This record gives sequence, structure tokens and C-alpha cells, in this order.
Amino acid sequence: MRAPAVGVLGGGPWGLALAKAAARGPSETWLHSRRAQDDVVAGVRVTRSLAELARCRLLLVAVPSTLARDVARELGEHLDGSHLVVHGIRGLSGAELSTVSRIFREETPARRLGALGGPVQADELAEGRPSAMVVASDFGEVTKAVREALEGEHLQVYASRDLRGLEWASALVGCLSIGVGYAQARADISPGLLAALLSRAADEAAAIVVAAGADEHTFYGLGGYGDLLASMALADRPEVVLGRELARGASLNDARGRARLRVEAIDLVPRIAAFARERGVRADILGTIAAMLDGSVPRADVVSTLFARS
Amino acid sequence: MAREAPIFRFNHERSMLVAATVERVVSNTKDPLHALNDAAYWEIRRLDGARSASGQAELSEWRSLARRLARMSDVERRERLSSLATSYAEDIAGNFDPRVFRASTRILPSLVTGLLAPGALPRHLRDPRGLLSLDALADKVVIQGDTARLAKLAERGTLVFVPTHSSNMDSIVFGFALERSGLPPATYGAGKNLFTNPLLSFFMHNLGAYKVDRRLRFDLYKDCLKTYSCVLLERGYHSLFFPGGTRSRSGAVEAKLKLGLAGTGIESYVRSLRAGAERKVFFVPATINYLITLEAETLIEDYLSEAGKARYIIEDDESTRLSRVVAFVRKLFTMRGSVVIRFGEPLDPFGNSVARDGRSLDRRGRAVETASFVRDVAGEVSLDADRDAQYTRELADSLVRGYRANTLVNSTNLVAVACFDHLRKQASRDDLFTVLRLRDQKISRDELAREVLARRDVLRELERRGEVVLSEQIRESSGGDVLAQAMSAFSGYHSAPVIEAHEDGVALRDPKLLYYYQNRLIRHGMGFDVEARGGSPCSASGGAR
Repeated sequence: MRAPAVGVLGGGPWGLALAKAAARGPSETWLHSRRAQDDVVAGVRVTRSLAELARCRLLLVAVPSTLARDVARELGEHLDGSHLVVHGIRGLSGAELSTVSRIFREETPARRLGALGGPVQADELAEGRPSAMVVASDFGEVTKAVREALEGEHLQVYASRDLRGLEWASALVGCLSIGVGYAQARADISPGLLAALLSRAADEAAAIVVAAGADEHTFYGLGGYGDLLASMALADRPEVVLGRELARGASLNDARGRARLRVEAIDLVPRIAAFARERGVRADILGTIAAMLDGSVPRADVVSTLFARS
Repeated sequence: MAREAPIFRFNHERSMLVAATVERVVSNTKDPLHALNDAAYWEIRRLDGARSASGQAELSEWRSLARRLARMSDVERRERLSSLATSYAEDIAGNFDPRVFRASTRILPSLVTGLLAPGALPRHLRDPRGLLSLDALADKVVIQGDTARLAKLAERGTLVFVPTHSSNMDSIVFGFALERSGLPPATYGAGKNLFTNPLLSFFMHNLGAYKVDRRLRFDLYKDCLKTYSCVLLERGYHSLFFPGGTRSRSGAVEAKLKLGLAGTGIESYVRSLRAGAERKVFFVPATINYLITLEAETLIEDYLSEAGKARYIIEDDESTRLSRVVAFVRKLFTMRGSVVIRFGEPLDPFGNSVARDGRSLDRRGRAVETASFVRDVAGEVSLDADRDAQYTRELADSLVRGYRANTLVNSTNLVAVACFDHLRKQASRDDLFTVLRLRDQKISRDELAREVLARRDVLRELERRGEVVLSEQIRESSGGDVLAQAMSAFSGYHSAPVIEAHEDGVALRDPKLLYYYQNRLIRHGMGFDVEARGGSPCSASGGAR
């Protein structure tokens, strides 16, 4: 059987990297982009028409989370029940903390949905350097199709059946990475203390994932803990930059500016902290990060608050 | 229209249905040795210690098969498999006598009325036409929902009715509701134990039931059952499943469904597509709401007892005792709206909503080609067990939402919630068994009426949002009226009064039954919800509110 065509939606670095990875595989690859793409690699066909993109049965969506609903709504006009739609979008939307797959469920006829996650970076994926990522879906058919489309000599794609868990894990890693950047920039936090902080953060996040109706193991896997560990070495990750700048005394606005890319976790942290409170899950670290962001904890006290025992 | 329903061709097609089932089961069995070994293991276990001569004979036959299996050739094994599958399929395929069907659905209700409500008899004698109509049931069995739309869909595909299940009366009452709404009759699988009950077997045999033997636990039997049900759907036999699997023991509306039979909806649809003759399948969730439940006492006892976990089939309950059934039916005929059947929104086998013309709709109301949901990445229509199991789980979620939205609140449920909440306040600990042990607590009539009214108003708000339905009798009534209705419903049927009026208030006589009737509302966040506390009734204790 010929491999189905793969369509990538989103012309940013992440979308481009996915298109390049897919083009290395057996599938015909299409890229939908609103910007002009002059330097697209051979083997990737570029289109500005969603109708044309929808001829591909496997779609990978890589747009900013703020655009997810609009994109889904527009795409929905061109899909039917046969499409497999997999997104690589970190975040949870609205007060009800909707996962991105849920948005696609609401806005499109597609039912076979999935998400990408894990510590893979756009540049290593684009360049074909050895890397690892996770794909999760309630449908084995979806994870299989993604692995067939993307896996290669240098890219390992791990499959999970816990879609909701992966989406929550990715969002939580975004939030906790602010704490990682902060802790790394503080001279009084030793590597051992940082490790303790990460381990506690992982337990906290796993409990939140369970409260959200998913599997705690998912957080302890590559899409959660693995991704969080990567934050320690990803000095450019916007969340890490933000945390570092805050630790160095920058105002939230300045820190935000230095992170360059939009840090969606800033809005997400208090919402997840409130969710944890509502469900009776202890979330001291997220709570402290939230307090750090809204300035309700003096900087001098952040470390003691992070390790406070009640 | 209903007269042309496939069930009326059943006798003509019976041997073909059985043959198709056997053929498919045998050809789908990859490993006959394993299938036969599994069957022999379970049957020897079941029959071990059997006293009856036939049980003994069966047992020795299975033992001898188990001994010979390893030495048999593949051809011999397949022959044996085929003969077993044939006997199971023959056993499953029920009888359907169209003449009896017509007689029972048209005349019986009135006859029952005549016999059980002696006051009506003189009227029927003066005007025997009344005996031949269902009108006597009109205000007793109330039917709600868009039945005209369902009748249209029945012309375009196979309907699968999936109601909530709380009583052995359900299939009979539901059968009447279909007839009365001008909907085609539906075939359904009924526990074989019901066929041994002389009272029910008459209805079971003739309302299109096939037999499900719950004692047979092995895959070969389950395959026969599922395949038979799938073959029926493919041939357009409208069907009735109770996805709860068994009567709700607690009284709560089902939140967890058994998916085996529901999954055959996709399979039969895919097979029809592959045969080039698309035949759509529409799932119709429904709730059957009783003012009082025939078997309430046994069911709640069973739920509360540790033994309830293993005692899957209750052999002896109120439905096997003629006097109780007579008392129940008499009670039913004295109350208005004592049974309300609500049909919910129909769904395709993937859990999508369905347009009037039978097309699948996405959540934004766009029509979507139904077959697209079963196309694989290459665009081919396929059966994919893993994919279809996930669709079926999502269908189940939609059905559960449908049950919740279509739950009808009766005065008995509302008053039970208020009474049980009162009991909880009196208890030393907020623990189910502590509350259940409270005896003869009293509450003033006025206070109880106020509590009832407060809860009714909360439910009225839920109803406004489409999340529940209030019975006509309680929607606009005063708290005192709702209380009076419940007291009159509770009195005279259950072996002890559930609540009783006294000069100085209302005595709460039977906490277990109050618990049973309040459980109907736990899915709406009302009442004492043991399951939400993560406990089975037997482990439930303590815990903060």
C-alpha cells in the first residue's frame, strides 16, 4: 500500500520542520502556509489552499495555540470523517482548559485525532539530527500513520494511547519550565536542589494529569518528565528565558520581551493552579510560579516558598 | 409501515440467519483448538457437580471432548466447532409469531386493565372496543420524544434502541411504546432465565426476543451471540439492547455501558457498505422512567450486599412472584404518568448526531459522509477492531449524556432525595450504612415540603438548560403536592411503606428504598452518591462531604 500523503498546516519553524521530516519519509508531503516559502526543501509541495491540503488524509497542524480554534474552524469546512488530524500545539484553551484536540473535535468532522509532544526541537527535526518525539491518540491507526510518515534513521517516534494525558503533560511542562529557568539563574539553588524541585514538580504535575482524567504515567514519560528535563539544557526555550529573567530581577514585561516568542504559559499557570485547587490537588510549585508571575510573592521569598512544607 | 418490519419475515428467514451466523463464526475462528479448549474449560467448570441427568451427560461429553481435542485433526475440530456453533445459534434464535405479537401488543394491555382494574370491567363489557385498543394505557404509559423522526429514520436504516434498564418490565413496556408510537417492533436479547419464568416467557417468546444464556462465559458462545445480533442488524432487523448489561441495581441511571453488542452497529454498517448496499444504523437512546420500580426492594438489597457482586442473575425476585406483579400493575394503572418513556436524539454508530434524512452531522451541524468514518488512510472502507472499539467508547459517552439529559424526575425521586438528605443530617457519621440503619426518623411536613421545593427549583434550572426533564406532575406543583403524590405512589405496593404520614410529621420508614429512589438523581449532582466517592456500597464509609 502506498503511504498516504501528509499535509502540514503552519509555515512557522515547527511546521516547516515537520514538513521536512515528512519529506524524508515515504509520503508525498504538502505544506500549507500563508507566508511565502522560498526555501522549502525539495519534495515538499506548498499550497495556500486548505481544500488542496485536505486531499492529504494525514494532517499535521503546527500553528500558535491562540490560532487553533480559528484554524480548526476553517479547516473543518474541508474535512470529513476519514482525516487523521494530529496537532503539535502546546497549551490548554479558555477557562475550561480545553485541550487542542477537543477544539478540533468541536470544530471539524474529524474524529481520529492525535497530538505530538516530547523534547524534540524544531531545528534538530528540520536538520535531521537524532531526536525523539511522542505521538498520542485514542486511535492506534493515528499513531501508526504518524510513525510511518515521520520515523526515520534519526527520528524515533514513541506512541501513546493517552491523548489527553499528553496534551496536559505538554501544557504543564510549559508552565514548569518557567520554574526551571528561574531556579537555574539563582545562585542559591544547587543542582541537587534543582533536582529535588523537578522531582516534586513531576509528582505535582502527574497528580494534576490524573485530576484531568488522564494517566499519571503519561507525565512520567517522554512527553512530560522527559520534556521537562530537556528544559534544563534548552537555554533558549522562551519559558526558560522568562524564568531566568525574572530571577535576575527583570519585571514581567521586560522578561516577556526578552523571551521574544509569546509565552502562553504566563496565562496558563494561574488557570491550572486554580484547577488544581478546585480538584483538591496540592500544587505548591505551580502555585508559587503563579504568585511569582503576579508579583504576590517577594523575590527573596520564592525559594523558601517553593520548598515550603505544610 | 411497522407491519412491513423485517421481524414479520423472521420465520421465513430464521434458518438463513442461523446459517449465516454459524458460517461467520466458524470462518472467523482462527484457532479452533483454542476455542474448543476454552469452551470445554468453562463448561466443565460450570457443570462440575451438576445433579440432573442432562447436566451429567453434558459434563461427560465435554470431558471426553477435552481429552480427545489434542489428537483431533483440524478438519475434525472445525466440524465440532461448526456443530457447537449451530446448536448455540439455534438456541439463541428465538421464536416470533406475528399473530401472537399482534394479539399481545393490541389486546393484552386492555385485558390486563380489565383483569387488574376491576372498576374498568363494566365499562369494557358495555363497550368491548375498549378492550381492543391501547387507549387504556394512554395516560399511564407516556411516550415523549420525536417519534415521527424515528419512524422516518426506520425507513432509511436499522434502528437500535438502547434504553436504560431498571426492571424486567422494561422490554414489555418498551414493546408497547414502540407499537403505540407507530414504530416498528424491535428484536432483543433477553436473559434465558426470563424464559423459564412462565409469566414473562409468554411475552419474551412472542415479542421477538432471542435468548441470551448468561451462564455461558466462553468466547465461542459470545461470538455466536454477537454475530447473530450483527446478522440481524445487517438484515434490517430493528433491535433493542440494554447497554447497561443488566438492571440498574442502585436505581441510578447508567453511567458505564457494556459495549459488546453496541459494537456490532459499526460492523454491520461496514459489511453493508462492502456488499455495495449501504444500510445505515441509528442508535436511539431512551430512558424508561417508573414512578415506582417493580423490583426495587430486591435490586437495592442486591446492590448493598457483598453477594451482589457475584450474583449477576437474580433468579428469584418480585418479577417471578405473580402476586407482586399483579399488585405492581394494578398500582401502575391507578397513577397518571406512572411510566414515562423518553426517546432521545438518534446517533450514528460513531456517536455523531443524525439529521432528519439520516445523514451524519458533525458538532457544527455540517453533514458528513457517514462512510468516511470507516475509511482507512488509503481511502478504503475497512473493519478495524481497534478503531471501531474507540468509536464505540465514544458512542457510549454520547449515550450516557443522552440518558442524563432524558432522565425524567418523578415525585418519588425528588421526595426521596429530600428525605435521604434529612436522614444524613441526623446520622452521627456521613456514612452510607450509618444512614441506612436509622429507623423511623420523622420530619415535619412543612419542612419536608420546603426541602422538596428547593430541590425542584434547582432541577427546574437544569431542565431549562436541557440537562434533565421534570415530570408534568411536579413541574408546577407546590412542595406539598409533590410530597402527596410521592406518598400516594409509595403506599400500597412496597412491602413496607417507604414514608408514612403522621400527625406530627412524616416518618421515614425505609431508608434503603429512599436510597434507591434518590439514586436516580446522582448523575445530576443530587443526593448521596457513593460511586462519586470512589467506593462500592460495601467499602463506602466516612469521608467528608
